[in-house]
Amino acid sequence: MPVLHGNRAFLVILFTVLAALPLVANRYLLFVANLVMLYIILALGLNLLVGFAGQLAFANAAMYGIGAYGAGLLQVKVGLPYWIAAPGGALLAMGIGTLLALPALRLSGVYLALATLAFAQATQWVLLHWQAVTFGAGGFPVPQPDFGVLHLSPDHGVYYVTWIVTVGLLVLAWRVMRSRIGRAFVAMRDSEVAAQALGIDVTLYKAMAFAISGFYAGAAGALYCSVLAFVAPESFDLFQMILQKAMIVVGGLGSLVGSVLGAALLVSLLQVIREFKATQEIVFGALLLGFVLFQPRGLVDLLKRRLRGWEEPLHGP
Amino acid sequence: MLSYLVATGITTGALYALVALGIVIVYKATEVVNLAHGELFMMGGFLAYTGHVMFRLPYLLSLVLAVAGTFVIGLLTDRVAYRPLMKEGLVSVLLATIGVSFILKGIARYLWGGKGDYLAFPPLVSPEPVRIGAIMVMSQQLVVLGAALALMAVFFVFFRATRAGKWMQATASNPKAATLVGLRIGRIYMYTFAVGAAVAGAAAVLMAPLTLLYPDIGFVLFVKGFASAVLGGLTSIPGAILGGLLVGLLEQFAAGFIHTSFQDVSAFIVIMVVLIFRPTGILGARGLRKI
Amino acid sequence: MSILAVQGVSVSFGGVRALSDVSMDVAAGEIVGVIGPNGAGKTTLLNVVCGLNTPDQGTVTLDGTPITGRAPSAIARLGLGRTFQTSRLFPGMSVLENIMTGLHRRSRAGLLAAVARTRAMRAEESQMRARAIEALDFVGMAGFAARPGHALSFGQQRVVEIARMLISEPKVVLLDEPAVGLSPARVAELDTLLRRIRDEKGVTLVMIEHVVRLVMEVSERVVVLNSGQKIAEGRPETIKRDPAVIEAYLGSQGDAGRAAS
Repeated sequence: MPVLHGNRAFLVILFTVLAALPLVANRYLLFVANLVMLYIILALGLNLLVGFAGQLAFANAAMYGIGAYGAGLLQVKVGLPYWIAAPGGALLAMGIGTLLALPALRLSGVYLALATLAFAQATQWVLLHWQAVTFGAGGFPVPQPDFGVLHLSPDHGVYYVTWIVTVGLLVLAWRVMRSRIGRAFVAMRDSEVAAQALGIDVTLYKAMAFAISGFYAGAAGALYCSVLAFVAPESFDLFQMILQKAMIVVGGLGSLVGSVLGAALLVSLLQVIREFKATQEIVFGALLLGFVLFQPRGLVDLLKRRLRGWEEPLHGP
Repeated sequence: MLSYLVATGITTGALYALVALGIVIVYKATEVVNLAHGELFMMGGFLAYTGHVMFRLPYLLSLVLAVAGTFVIGLLTDRVAYRPLMKEGLVSVLLATIGVSFILKGIARYLWGGKGDYLAFPPLVSPEPVRIGAIMVMSQQLVVLGAALALMAVFFVFFRATRAGKWMQATASNPKAATLVGLRIGRIYMYTFAVGAAVAGAAAVLMAPLTLLYPDIGFVLFVKGFASAVLGGLTSIPGAILGGLLVGLLEQFAAGFIHTSFQDVSAFIVIMVVLIFRPTGILGARGLRKI
Repeated sequence: MSILAVQGVSVSFGGVRALSDVSMDVAAGEIVGVIGPNGAGKTTLLNVVCGLNTPDQGTVTLDGTPITGRAPSAIARLGLGRTFQTSRLFPGMSVLENIMTGLHRRSRAGLLAAVARTRAMRAEESQMRARAIEALDFVGMAGFAARPGHALSFGQQRVVEIARMLISEPKVVLLDEPAVGLSPARVAELDTLLRRIRDEKGVTLVMIEHVVRLVMEVSERVVVLNSGQKIAEGRPETIKRDPAVIEAYLGSQGDAGRAAS
């Protein structure tokens, strides 16, 4: 059996620890671990879109919210069971996310960034104000699914579902990047014109990148609404944007393991400073600025230089 | 009611125009959209508040303090955060501006946000409304409108007629050529940022008596300013003013004829619609460079 | 029947005529050179053929299929390849991954197959890998497979780009100044490589070049553009002596001497 080292060892250890945590952790720690996994999903999807496919999109928080609201409202208003509502929320986010590929066909750089940011803010506005559907600023509670059949408390049940989905989506992302699809994304990022000259249909691959990241964010949202058993618009605000961007920059743009690392570290950090909004803003602003200035390739780049086994396919500059 | 909406629209539009002006000036010279621009405005307002309300300095002195303060913050952020990244590409600069905006917002929240987050600034001129025709306007609003037009005239002349202004434009359109003819583009960028910041500071001080100050106002104003700038054309100074007035009016009409809550979302819709259908805006140059 | 037919193509950019009524026919297996002073419209012609610009008038046909105004990636999928003046090797990938990307249009695994890692997908991946290694061998760079795309010298990048272009077996390849920035020794190597490509792979080449010596030695036919119009066409020896061509080049420095020799 091949010796595990480097990034694979890291992932195996991390997810083993996460799997075993419900046996020993208190409720709060379990909640944080759950949050870590959700943000791993968010970071993977965002990195796929921004880091690998090179689309500077800022609407991930909105997709997260659409997934959460979709799953929550399908349960609370339409009465669907969790097992249908959750994928429903993810698919809704995927559909709307794919629509954002349309502006991406014509815009890039700052223009795409601001168009998608405007969309994200408009989405939060809708969540706040369309009270007839979304319950408005106060949000609404969502009942946790029942895991009695498996002899698990709702908390533990939701935790294991999140674990399974996180591992599954990580494996999926890994496979996508190790295929011609992954190469098409990176080609598109590095030189759209050269990619076209090789027959890569940029329209198709942009749509795919937006669809995938929308699905990931939506899935995270759908899981989130059951973890928290509550959905409110303030969870999907501007701060989410910088939090998620900071994760992939700190971890490493264009690196799947970097996404995991960035998510785990920054969610943990957030818990330490969650008391004061001012502190959060300064710390995360400084993290983003600092890494862009001094370590733009992220932590995985540092690890790649110092340790063996931290390479990844398609993780270039 | 219509006249009320128009009056309010024009006066809030003047404020947006000032914010847009700062954004356009920096963009024209550096091709950078500074996402922290709104926070510069917010800082200006808080500095003026500190001077005028907390230390009881005369209003004019507080204005100078605020503008000087934002000028310095503009210089610093350019030096520390933006200039080193210009060579890495505009995406890095964009991310850096986001980082800076949150840092500034957090600092403001820490320094001033403690007492309940919303601060009121006393009026500069007599708060008595002035009657113009059939509508009542606050004198402060007229001051803002006047200042916006005056600043626009100043910058229009600056970019067209002065050497410094032409240098800034030359640097923006062709940095390599500019260096070849001996322009020190680093310095030009720095001063451009600082000037843009100072404009934000001035706008804040003028506006402060009309609104409540709170740390998140920076982003709100950035969005409205950017919407105005992009509607008018990101490379056009008259466009910034025109865009500002249009966005101000649009907001009021949306609030008045649809629902008050629509005031907030108008700017987002303007941004999306303009960027998707006509990214050069109304008065902008054709052939917008993609970055 | 010609494999590439350009007929009556005209393009204007904001009032400036870049191309006026340009026509040319390229037969299968030919090497055609396109020369002309700066600003003659050579790159614009290439851009029109590969779909980056749509002509105001005129048509382009690839092996009988009309391709005017179609999306660049669609045209590429029909068998038109193109290299660029500046290196467009993908810096974020290894050399081998770059070449494998060249096989994109010849491979089929979609998102579902990739995610499920079906047997067919895995077989396709190993085939692509094997062919990529072969292609690197053909251009003499077998040892560079694992190097990151950005860690090669300029000349080496050029060669890898050509390999990447060829691996999908295009019918026609447009080369945009392939010799720019190369030392004379490397130009000679390029000369040999281009001939091998034509002889062993049967690819038709259309080449823009300023290094007139290379064009004259390697091409069977030369097309000369000046100010957006075709002013001459024929075998290299004839072109060298054509008075209209010489006059066009007298306007620009140095090329006249080389063209006349």
